[in-house]
Amino acid sequence: MDISGEQQIDAPRERVWEALNDPEILRQCITGCESLEKISDDEMKAEVLAKFGPVKAKFKAKISIEDQIPPASCRLVGEGQGGVAGFAKGAAVITLHESDGGTRLEYKADMQVGGKIAQIGSRLVSGTTNKIVGEFFEKFPTLL
Amino acid sequence: MSVSVVMTVNGEVVAKHVEDRTLLVEFLREHLRLTGTHVGCDTSQCGACVVHANGKSLKSCTALAVQMDGAEITTIEGLANGDVLHPMQEAFRQNHGLQCGFCTPGMVMSAVDLVNENPDPSETEIREWLEGNICRCTGYHNIVKSISAGAKAMREGDPT
Amino acid sequence: MTDNNRGIGEAVVRREDSRFLQGRGQYTDDMNLAGQLFACIVRSQHAHATINSIDGSAAMAMDGVVSVLTHEDFAAYGGVPCGWGVNNKDGSPMAEPKHPILAEGVARHVGDPVAVVIAESPIIARNAAEHVQVSYSELPAVVSMQQALDASAKPIHGDTESNLCFDWELGDREAVDQAIAGAHHVTKLELINNRLVPNAMEPRCAIGDYNSATGDHTLYTTSQNPHVIRLLMGAFVLQIPEHKLRVVSPDVGGGFGSKIYHYAEEAIVTVAAMKLGKPVKWTSDRTEAFISDAHGRDHITTVELALDREGNFLALRESTHANMGAYLSTFAPAVPTYLHSTLLAGQYRTPVIYAEVKAVFTNTVVVDAYRGAGRPEASYLVERVVETAAREMGIDPVELRRKNFIKSFPHDTPVALTYDSGDYAATLDQAMIASDYAGFEARRAEAKQRGKLRGIGIACYVEACGVAPSNIAGALGARAGLYEAATIRVNPTGSISVLTGSHSHGQGHETTFSQLVADKLGIDYDSIDVVHGDTNRIPFGMGTYGSRSLAVGGTAIVNAVDKIIAKGKKIAAHLLEASEADIEFENGEFRVAGTDKMKPFAEIALTAYVPHNFPLEELEPGLEETAFYDPKNFTFPAGTYVCEVEIDPDTGTTEIVSFHASDDFGRIINPMIVEGQVHGGLVQGIGQALLEGCVYDTDSGQLISGSYMDYTMPRADDVPSFSVDTCVTECTHNPLGVKGCGEAGAIGAPPAVMNAIIDALSDYNVRHLDMPATPNKIWSIIHKASAAAA
Ligand code: FES
Ligand code: FES
Repeated sequence: MDISGEQQIDAPRERVWEALNDPEILRQCITGCESLEKISDDEMKAEVLAKFGPVKAKFKAKISIEDQIPPASCRLVGEGQGGVAGFAKGAAVITLHESDGGTRLEYKADMQVGGKIAQIGSRLVSGTTNKIVGEFFEKFPTLL
Repeated sequence: MSVSVVMTVNGEVVAKHVEDRTLLVEFLREHLRLTGTHVGCDTSQCGACVVHANGKSLKSCTALAVQMDGAEITTIEGLANGDVLHPMQEAFRQNHGLQCGFCTPGMVMSAVDLVNENPDPSETEIREWLEGNICRCTGYHNIVKSISAGAKAMREGDPT
Repeated sequence: MTDNNRGIGEAVVRREDSRFLQGRGQYTDDMNLAGQLFACIVRSQHAHATINSIDGSAAMAMDGVVSVLTHEDFAAYGGVPCGWGVNNKDGSPMAEPKHPILAEGVARHVGDPVAVVIAESPIIARNAAEHVQVSYSELPAVVSMQQALDASAKPIHGDTESNLCFDWELGDREAVDQAIAGAHHVTKLELINNRLVPNAMEPRCAIGDYNSATGDHTLYTTSQNPHVIRLLMGAFVLQIPEHKLRVVSPDVGGGFGSKIYHYAEEAIVTVAAMKLGKPVKWTSDRTEAFISDAHGRDHITTVELALDREGNFLALRESTHANMGAYLSTFAPAVPTYLHSTLLAGQYRTPVIYAEVKAVFTNTVVVDAYRGAGRPEASYLVERVVETAAREMGIDPVELRRKNFIKSFPHDTPVALTYDSGDYAATLDQAMIASDYAGFEARRAEAKQRGKLRGIGIACYVEACGVAPSNIAGALGARAGLYEAATIRVNPTGSISVLTGSHSHGQGHETTFSQLVADKLGIDYDSIDVVHGDTNRIPFGMGTYGSRSLAVGGTAIVNAVDKIIAKGKKIAAHLLEASEADIEFENGEFRVAGTDKMKPFAEIALTAYVPHNFPLEELEPGLEETAFYDPKNFTFPAGTYVCEVEIDPDTGTTEIVSFHASDDFGRIINPMIVEGQVHGGLVQGIGQALLEGCVYDTDSGQLISGSYMDYTMPRADDVPSFSVDTCVTECTHNPLGVKGCGEAGAIGAPPAVMNAIIDALSDYNVRHLDMPATPNKIWSIIHKASAAAA
């Protein structure tokens, strides 16, 4: 499943880049995120409680940040294990452009689910994911 | 966490301590050993688990036992009057409304509730009512026939 | 006879229903044994992955967890066996990869069992299963058969050369090629027989029990054939001698084929119970059933039918790919071959037929027999190609069929079968009248005024029931016998226990078999009891599948009854001081012919067990006989189905407005039960045609139609009530003249429905549509055609 979009943010590129690397801001923006910590410059781990239709699970996720070109772009690769509920994994390319005195953030992600979430919740995965992404960008600018 | 529940099941008061997450269907099957109520799915779609709670049909896999504290529950085991089958049970027997019997308790409990609400349902109304009950054996033909016959028998048996 | 209302031919109300209707059935999951533990199986979430490590320590540390088992715990045992070997065109055997009980280093489909957690309660087991850490490295998954056979695809098994299981053929290729090359008209179709999930309403369940003092194992399991499980699991998997293993299948909530096979979970609970010294129970939930029960169908086929100018069939050629899934399930190789291509003649005289079938391994759940097993696929392709040919040649589809019907019996088909009896015109004629076929165009016109597209479709199917005889099946790869056994135990006071190797999981054997015996012995139906489903109580038999119970199991019963009567005559002759040759048996009485000297059956029974006045020098006391019956041939039920549909062009929704079935099942014992079997089969067939389809994500191999929210089961408001009729031509090679009725509906319905839909869409130039014909597919066709016209 592919998810892409863009978001105009009323802040300079450097500030946006910093925020994207700030575990506390990220934690607050991700619905259901119970913890998120940076374990190195290019690795984070998180626990997210997510619900795909009838399947609810706590995902333990590992995210690595690759191809970092501050403050312009990076690639996030992650995999979350939800126990018997299954797993979700994916990658996202994020690009920051200067525009209109602020920053235009472009993202292009693809995601795959497996196990019970795929079996029972497939139809609901894109809806749930879009909702999480939407809420992220609603919250994100307010924390800058 | 263990909680105590008290309910009336098939006319008898039962009191038990159960884990708070115990489903009504587990309570009936495992704690009371009333195994006539079946489990056919884990997404509340099949209706094999239908019982009556306070006179209305309920998928017992969708309710926690604690939610039913104080309720009156009737299961398939409590439907007949001693050795005399309920008119709906008898109608299923006479019209070959069952094959493997696995969906049957849920079908019968659901059908009785339908007829309580709508004493003279049409074929279409019966088929629509059964939306939540899956049968893989009978092709529904004889279930529909059984319910029509059961409705008639319930009307005739009930002087009101 | 004391009760002439409950003999052969009577619609006797079923005796098993009293317990089912009062919630007193005894299904496997209804049983709990003292001290029982509960198993939860950790299954692969990946379609294809290397298992690097399995760490059960966190699970083991949890309160109430007793054991975590992995592949190593089963290393001493064999794998799950396959019961039918098929050879390639060149005579070499099929590829038969190892099917371990628990995945051994590699998981090959979503749902492949990887580890087992055993705990004191089901909830603890389930929670602990979450804590079993399995480290996987994902491998590319081959999901479709095309992917699997692509030259670049790696074999999913280390011990096979490719993903091809076998490449098999049947028939005279050269003759067929020639006939097709020279034909006036050739109709070619490519079609998919959609993959289905059987979905018996009772999920599978197994309980293992072990008595260390005696060394006796007991397995309670949801099986259609407990003796087959005892043989396969005992002899091939766990090396438990038969006398130390008892398999019990109590009430079973539907099977449709999916409960024939020996499954890994049966071996798992048996081994676990022995290791832990306590009974171990595993109950599947529905989500698990979708990824662990054998699926059905899944063929991709090209079929060609050659005709002469007058519409006579000249030849038929089939090329099919059949999905086996990740391993070979018990009877999987037989399904697309001997149970499929042998039926390609259908009801027609087609002189030459050639079939080639490639079976393929993919990273999906195993595929095996599901109601009809190979025959629905055959009937679907034959009836679709015949219908299409009729349209292309402008011949009335009914007339084209009639013209090509087999009219004299016995008939040898070019695909190895000999049809012993039938009257195809009779079922067709009956169906034409019952469905008012002649009045259809008026109904179509009337529907058009309401804005609906109405169509009519017919299908003339033939099926083969009661796979047999054993020696021929053996020569064709069967690794078991195909007979059935029965014991008639007459009790001292004249009541009877019928011990049958057949198994009832909805078919009503307890009623039908009692009717049979009541009729044959002329004794009270209520004094007869039918015992099935327990290897310690019944003779070695093959169980119930392939609509064989009455034709094969029923015949074994009749033969055992005949032996009882023969012995009874000897006893009666002694008591009546007459010659054995003069004793007649009728209506429950042994009589000296032409006299009124007689002894009732019950008195003979008592004499046999209290042999005070008994010819002990010549005859053993007691009255109990066993018969094993190995049929000489299959039986061949056949019939015509007529389906009428209305399509709403705005939504693409298909409504089945009427459905008529005319079947020839031979002689009928209980018409009520037979009708019920037809209804059930029809709805499974209609489900396949309109609603059901198992969908895998083609990249990841994830099953995405894995619940009742995504896999559309037919519900009451999806189907109509049916009109069902029968004609009778008796089977010539069994004493009852019966043929079998369990699968007909599922075989004949899909082509009838699809032919009706194609007919309804005749204005839109649709030649073929693959099942399931969902509103979405139909709407797109109508929409595209309308857009093109605009
Ligand atoms: S068990 Fe299926 S709806 Fe309750
Ligand atoms: S009778 Fe078997 S599922 Fe309904």
